[in-house]
Amino acid sequence: MLTSGPVVVMQVPEVLNVKEVRNFMDELGPLLESNRPRIVLDCSQVRSMESAGVEMLLRCLEEVLKRDGDLKLASLSPEAEVILELMRVARVFETFHTCEDAVRSFNAIPAEAVPQNTPWYSDVFSELGVVKQAS
Amino acid sequence: MVGAIIIGDQTDAMEDKHSPSRFCSYQAPWASMELLGKSPIARLAEDLKKDCDVVSLISNDRDSQHGNATHQGSIADLAADRFEDYKREGLGTVLIVQCGSYVELDVAEMLNFHEVRGVGVTRAFSDHAPLDIWMVDPSGLPDHVPTLSTLLRATPAMYHSQGYVNHLRTAREFRRLVLDSFHSRCRLRPQGPEIKPGIWSCDGAQIERSARVVAPAFIGRDVYISAECLITRGSNVESNSRVDFGTAVEDSTILPNSYVGIGLDLSHSIVDGRNLLNLRHNVNLEITDPVVMRQNTVGGVHRQSWASIEAGSLALSSAE
Repeated sequence: MLTSGPVVVMQVPEVLNVKEVRNFMDELGPLLESNRPRIVLDCSQVRSMESAGVEMLLRCLEEVLKRDGDLKLASLSPEAEVILELMRVARVFETFHTCEDAVRSFNAIPAEAVPQNTPWYSDVFSELGVVKQAS
Repeated sequence: MVGAIIIGDQTDAMEDKHSPSRFCSYQAPWASMELLGKSPIARLAEDLKKDCDVVSLISNDRDSQHGNATHQGSIADLAADRFEDYKREGLGTVLIVQCGSYVELDVAEMLNFHEVRGVGVTRAFSDHAPLDIWMVDPSGLPDHVPTLSTLLRATPAMYHSQGYVNHLRTAREFRRLVLDSFHSRCRLRPQGPEIKPGIWSCDGAQIERSARVVAPAFIGRDVYISAECLITRGSNVESNSRVDFGTAVEDSTILPNSYVGIGLDLSHSIVDGRNLLNLRHNVNLEITDPVVMRQNTVGGVHRQSWASIEAGSLALSSAE
């Protein structure tokens, strides 16, 4: 059986240069090594991001995916959005307007968990009294 | 005889100025930035040389390599001094242009209007909005005019210009002028030969074989476009810039002496050295990572916002 911990929300520092990346990774590193890590990075404060910062985000994503978890970005500042687009990585991450939305998305029922044995329209038709039991 | 004074910056020359937004890198007005090979102010100076006997450009450009920068004092003082010089020399009419906008002015028509109206000062208007262009008769004025700004506050005759106007107050207007030129909506033409329909390339520009340039586009002097790059949708790369391997430039301007790094996706932006202005998100960023963007020093050419203004009959003054 797969288990997973709570969703962790972390604030990304205002400036993501080599030094700040090191500090940030000191905090984030242990979380990445947990079982099925579920992480939301709040990017609302980001004003500047060097290539080291983008590389860090990609490495984190790689690590969590290896452990069957996920990493999502939330509340992207316009600056963060511009840099991620510029560096061609914006599409790699799932992004959300707010941290709440990002956290909720982890708890959403995955599509494969929905029973597939009845067609989607059967509920509608049964409400209308159209569908009759065949046997 | 007609003389012209181009006031190259709006810092303090006039009291009724509107301050254009400036790109943070060196706080120069948009009109002085290189655009399709030559700044709008340089183009204006060249245009005026056709219609005026003498043209003076007053600027506070500290980088000017051409100026006989002997004058001290503010731009307003320099402009007033030059006006006094013209008056002493007996010039019949002086055209004063405070260069913030790109205006396609019919000088001969305005002069005719000015002479017919017979008033001391005529101001150009476009769509009933005043332009910073005046025509003045120095002889009709009192001996001592305290300042140029006082003179220009006088009630003028209104000359309605029919030509193209771009106020160049914002980065968007700057980009619009680039696109208007590409689509022949104004007289401004890109420098250099049109190597393919809609693609202009200046002397010394190098485009690697595997790079793709899609019209309309402009590649400036001594620009290097590396392999696998894409320059598209009305982009212009100005002189001595470099776009590195695999980068796509879309609907963007790269100002002179800029380096844009490897594998980037630059769109709806203006780049000046390490400054990036994204017009879609309305964000102005300073990129601190030199691998991504930086001032390009490969060619060793210093930034010259007035670079394309040729010497000759053009007197150039610079406030320090």
